[in-house]
This record gives sequence, C-alpha cells and structure tokens, in this order.
Amino acid sequence: MFDPFQLPFVQRGVFEILLLSIALGVLGTWIVVRGLAFYSHALATAAFPGLVLADGLGFAPQLGALGIAAAFAVVVGRLGAGRRELYDSRTALALVGALALGVILASDVFHSGSNIETLLFGSLLILEPRDLIFGGVLSVLVVVANLLLGRSWLATGFDPDGARSLGVPALLPDLILLGLVALGAVAVLTAAGALLAAALLVVPAATTRLWIRRMPGWQIATVLLVAVEGVAGLWLSVEWNAPPGAAIAVLAGSVFVLAAITRALAGWGRMAIAPAVAAACVLLAGCAHVGGSSGDKLAVVATTTQIADFARNVGGDAVDVHQILQPNTDPHEYEPRPSDVTATAGAKLVLESGDGLDSWMDKVVSESGADAKVVDLANRLPVTVPGETSGPEASQYDPHWWHDPVNAEAAVREIRDAMTAADPSNRRTFEGNATAYLAELHRLDSGIQRCIDSVPPDQRKLVTDHDAFNYFAKRYGIQIVGAIIPSQTTEAQASAGDISRLAEEVRREHVRAIFPESSINPDVAHALANQTGAISDLTLYGDTLGPTGSNGATYLTMEAANADAMVRGFTGGQRGCRIPGVG
Amino acid sequence: MAEAVLVECRGLAVGYNGRPALRDVTFNADTGERIGVLGPNGGGKTTLFRALGGELEPMSGDVKVLSRCATVPQTERSRLDYPVSALDVTLMGTIPLRGWWRHPRRSERASAREALAAVGLDGLESRTFGELSGGQRQRVLVARALVQDARVLLLDEPFSGMDVASAQRLSELIDRLAGEGRAVLVATHDVEQARRWDRVLCLNRRQIAFGPPDEVLTMQVLEATHGGTIVELQEDGEHVAVMPAHHHHEGGGGHA
Repeated sequence: MFDPFQLPFVQRGVFEILLLSIALGVLGTWIVVRGLAFYSHALATAAFPGLVLADGLGFAPQLGALGIAAAFAVVVGRLGAGRRELYDSRTALALVGALALGVILASDVFHSGSNIETLLFGSLLILEPRDLIFGGVLSVLVVVANLLLGRSWLATGFDPDGARSLGVPALLPDLILLGLVALGAVAVLTAAGALLAAALLVVPAATTRLWIRRMPGWQIATVLLVAVEGVAGLWLSVEWNAPPGAAIAVLAGSVFVLAAITRALAGWGRMAIAPAVAAACVLLAGCAHVGGSSGDKLAVVATTTQIADFARNVGGDAVDVHQILQPNTDPHEYEPRPSDVTATAGAKLVLESGDGLDSWMDKVVSESGADAKVVDLANRLPVTVPGETSGPEASQYDPHWWHDPVNAEAAVREIRDAMTAADPSNRRTFEGNATAYLAELHRLDSGIQRCIDSVPPDQRKLVTDHDAFNYFAKRYGIQIVGAIIPSQTTEAQASAGDISRLAEEVRREHVRAIFPESSINPDVAHALANQTGAISDLTLYGDTLGPTGSNGATYLTMEAANADAMVRGFTGGQRGCRIPGVG
Repeated sequence: MAEAVLVECRGLAVGYNGRPALRDVTFNADTGERIGVLGPNGGGKTTLFRALGGELEPMSGDVKVLSRCATVPQTERSRLDYPVSALDVTLMGTIPLRGWWRHPRRSERASAREALAAVGLDGLESRTFGELSGGQRQRVLVARALVQDARVLLLDEPFSGMDVASAQRLSELIDRLAGEGRAVLVATHDVEQARRWDRVLCLNRRQIAFGPPDEVLTMQVLEATHGGTIVELQEDGEHVAVMPAHHHHEGGGGHA
C-alpha cells in the first residue's frame, strides 16, 4: 500500500518535506502568534515575478523569489511601524501589483507558458538538489533563531510597549522574523507554489493551535503535523494523480476543519473526538486503494494522443500503452501528473513526439528513475518544415509532423522497431500489425489527396487557431493565409493588432472559413468570423485526437475529419469529402 | 515610613517627532504615595508614563526616577489568544535582570511565582493568559511589574472594563503595594477614580494642576482638564468637590 514511496521522485519529495517541516512548523507558529498570515501569503505571491524572472533567465528560482521577497519584507516591515489598516491595504496593493507584474513578465516577456502553472502551484515531484539544500539550511536557521530570538518575538508580540520597557529589542529580531518567513515562503514555493504556500506555512499551525495552548508543545506538534500532512499529501497526490501542492492544501484544509469541529464538540464532551478521528481514518483508508499493475505486457509510455494511437495499433494486445496527454488537452501547456511519473517508472519504452512539443517528458523520465528506452519520433522523419527560431518552444522543425501521413508512416516503422527491440518475442505481432496499419495510412494519404484535389487550388485558403497545419498544407497544396495565434505553439497570445491585420487578410483573400481547433478556446475564431463574414463552425483536430466517440478519436479518423472539414470550409459549406474505409 | 522622593519632574516637556505632546509637568511622587493621573484620551497620560519609563527623552525640563520603574499596560492591548501562561507573562518581568535572550533560571521562576502569589493568583500560574478574567489579567501584569523589583509602578487605565468585585480587589492591591513603600501612579480619565488617590495630577497636553484631590479637583481644573466639555456636576455646579458616596472609598493604606 505504500508502493509510491518506492519511487525515487516521491522519496525525494518526502525527504524535502521532512527537511522543511521543521522550518515551516516553527515559522507557522510565529506567523499565527504574530498575525503574519496575510503577510506570508502576500510574500509568497510577491515572489511570483521573481520566479518568472528566474525561470525566464535561467537562474535558481530561489534567488529570484528571494530578491523580491526580501525587498517586500523590508518595505512591509517598515510600513508595519505605521498604522495597521494602512499596512494591510499596502500589502494587498503590493500583492496585486506583484501578481500582475508576474503575469506580464510570464506572458509577454518570457512566454513562460506551462511553467506558470508550476510557479503558481508548485511541484514537489520536480525538485532539484538545491531545493533540498535550501530546505535543510532554512530549518537549521529557523531552529537557531527560534532558540535565540523566540523570547523576544513572544514578548514583543504579547505587548510591544511592555516589551520595550523591559529592554527587549524589537526591531532587529522582528526584521529577522520577517526575513525568515520570507525564506520559508520561498522554500514552500518550490513545493506548493505561490498560491498554496499558506497551506504549509499557516494552516498546520492554526490547526494545532486549536488544541495546544503553550508555545513549545505547539511548535513540536506543528512540525509533526506539517511532516505528516506533507507526506500524506504527497502520497495522496500519487494515488489520486493530483498535483502534490493541491493535494497537501486540501488535506491540510480538511484536517483543520476536522480539528475545529472536534474542538467544538469537545466542549460538550471529549467522547466526540474518538468517532471523528475514526471517521477521518475511514476517509483516508477509503482513498488508499492502489490500482494493480498490468502484468507482463510490454509497458510503453507515449506522450501525445496520436503517437499513443500509433503505439496501440502496432503493439496490439502485446503492449500496455500509458498515454500521457488526454484528448483535447493542449500538449504545449501540459503539466505532468504523478501517475505519468509512476507509469514512466515502470515503462520499458518511452515514445516522445519531439521537436519541443513535449519537452516536459525528459524531466518526467529523469524524475521517474526509469531505465526505459526513450525514442524521439521527430528525430528521423522524411518530411520537415522549419520551426520557430524564437519563443518558448523554439526548435529546428515545426513539431506538428504527424499531419503529413508520410511522416506518420515513418513514425510507425520507428515504433515497430523500438517495440521489437524491447520485446523480441513479439516480433511477429509487431510486424504484422505495423504492416496492416501502414497500409491504412497509405489509403488515408491518397484519400485526403483526392478530397483536397476536388477543390480548385485558389480556393484552398486556410485560417486556423494556431500554426499547426504547415505539414498538411505542404503535403496537399493548401495555402495558409494566417493563424489567430501566429505561432506554432498555443502558448503565444494574439494581440489586437495581429487580429485586425488577419481580419483584413481574410477579407482580401476571400477566405470562407476560419477553423477553430478542438483543444483551443474558439471564442477568438468566432469573433474573427463574425467580423469578416466567414464561417467558424468547422473544427479541426490540431494538437490532439478527439475523445472516444467523436469523429476524431483515432489518427485515421482525425485526419479524415480534418480533410472533410477543410473541403466544407473551402467550398463555403457546399460539400464535404468522405474517405472510403476511414471514419 | 520615611517619605522619600521616588519620582521628580521639573518643567518636563515630551513629545514625538519634535512636537511636544505634553509640557509644563512639574510634580513629585514619594514612597507610599498613590497618585492619580487624570486626563482625557490623548491628554498625555501614556506619554508621561513613557517619559518616566525612559522610552521618551525629555525635550526640555528634567525627569528623575530614583528607582526601577515598571509599566502595567491596559490588558486590552495585550493579546488574549496568546499562547502564554500567567507564569510566562510574569517571567517576562525578569528579562531586565537576566537579559532577554537567556532562559529564566530557577530562582527567577521562584520570584515570578512569589509575585503571582503577592497579587493573589497563587495556583493559577499555569493558566493561559486569555483564560483569566479581566481583573486577573491585570493582576498578572502587576505581578510582571513586581518581579522587576520596581518601586515605581505606572498603571495605565487599570480599571477600565472591570467589574465591581475585580476593581475592589485591584484597588486593595494598589493600596497594599503603596503601603510597602512603592509609588503607584494610576492613569484614569474618570474623575471619580481620581478622587480616591493621595494626590492627583491633571493633564491635558500640559499640566493643569497637581495636589490632593480635595484642593485640586475644582470646576475650573476639571474643565481645563477635559477641554471644557465637562458635564455639569450634580448639586449647584459651583462646588465640585461634592462627592457622591462611592462604594469602595475606604482609608488609603498608603498614608497610614
């Protein structure tokens, strides 16, 4: 049942939590005692632009966060000398400003894309050694400061005037406390992210506070609670396949509510505690079922929906394919889940799409500690289109290679060979399946060609959501007029100027249809269509297959559906095009 | 008991950021004396205490405090949900003796317990501060002052929000502390309160009057002290020293 803890990345997360729990537990009690909850939340959020800067410029995130958090701590520390309400509203202003600055930096300067999610919500699963060092050093610092300065913090918080008249220095110890809280918030950022830092910093201390009234006991209990909630949250995140920061936050919140309820009930009699604790245990145990593994089939992990489809077609019953991306999720903005790492840990073969589309997979592979063979399918393709030279996913080639069936055929051959190498005993199965599937791909290719050929060349004018159809257009002779997101990645954003230029282009070129994509919000496409008199009700499958039951659930039907939609769009909805034997 | 001057102010002016909040203060407090410090909110009572406690430097004039001086703040200002026991709070009073960074020694714990016993709180040492009644909390803060071995006690509005029985006990405690040779200064904005002490210092951003209550608390002084907003007293309004029988106006132990 404690299977997840066998995995290297989970072990590292547990280690990090145990290291941090000392610092966070002790700091948490001071945060609660000194009324710094809002400050610490604001601080973690304020550190966000620092994280974005660090991510964009490629230095340690702690440094970026620390720089901004330290500045914030000093400013708020000075403001704190003034009036309380002023201090709160200024903290709030600084918080909003920092968040906005972070978003602008992330979206318009560095195009951080999917990393934003990690920065805001953290990932205990992707820890660097420096995170562990930072956590350990911080815990030592906090314990030392607690022993040396704790009396000052306590006396000053109890009664500032009285403490001053007793000769307790307030300024320096308090600045040190604010600084340590800043460090704590930064440390939590890597684990829980900017928005959930409070879950580990404040909530456990507030929970134990309900039960324990004296400082030393409270601190020890809080350290233990942080450790338990952190480890249990991490375990739940692996079991539930949820992001660890969120799992810990939910767990910490639930425990707090439970503690508050039992505390209230305890007023009527301590008898009520036992059933509540029992209920909590049942709740946790109920969630503790682990799925069985797949037996002795060849375990394959495939990142995108289309290459997973290839793998299933080639492998058949002889393989067990874990597909990371689900239909209609955007590969450009994917954040790996714990189950992806666990599946990768047990895999023999990892199939990547390549060309920067699923670059997050390399991290998953290294975190999983897997010794799987990793095949980058984009490496050996017969047809290539130049990629983008700048931006978050700059790569030599455009990553949407599968929209040319010739490339799909090459990928299928590659998969067949890789599977055969990994499991020679099933060579015949793989070869037979691949040959049959290659024939279908060939049929698809000529079918699409016929469909597109049925439209006069000067009517084949394509406007899509993002630049995903260069291979398709090149293969079948389609003119690409433009894309709403003028980039091969969906992480870029269209500006108002881009859109109005595109609208002009659409009118001038008499484009009849704007094609939204299944995995992208179609609002802008609809707006552009309204503005230009084009239609926008024909959806293309760009980056992913459609869900089961849709007309794009497999690679074959997806490409056929795209061809059909394009023919309809190009002809102003007069006719479509069906490919016999497909869809 | 031989009377000796413990506090002496001559033409004292103190304030914040270069602006005087209180000026022209000239008074003295002797051993065994209970002095009421009367004034409206913002009249300078707390400022005076800060000057006596050495937190504020005089802008002009002299302050002499010839003994350790301890402030007993208003309990409202201390956090009620604070994770400290009565003993913890009292032990804060030993900080000047041991240094704030040091752990309290056994002897200091013993004197803190004694101080708690002296204010009638023996047996409640380990009670959390917030669980105590308002009067008990005030007495813990007095114990914190006592443990410093301070002979000058500055009590800031100690009776506010206190029920009759608690006020009675605190009043008796103040009498006893003065009787042991301390000078006790009690800040209040309540005229009836002020009448009870040996001498009264009336402040309203400057010293209005200083002397025994019967001589000092005239209509003019009270009007000046409270900025002319004083209510008409009962009776004919001409003789202010009229004093309705107060429930615990008893002999002052300090002047025995």
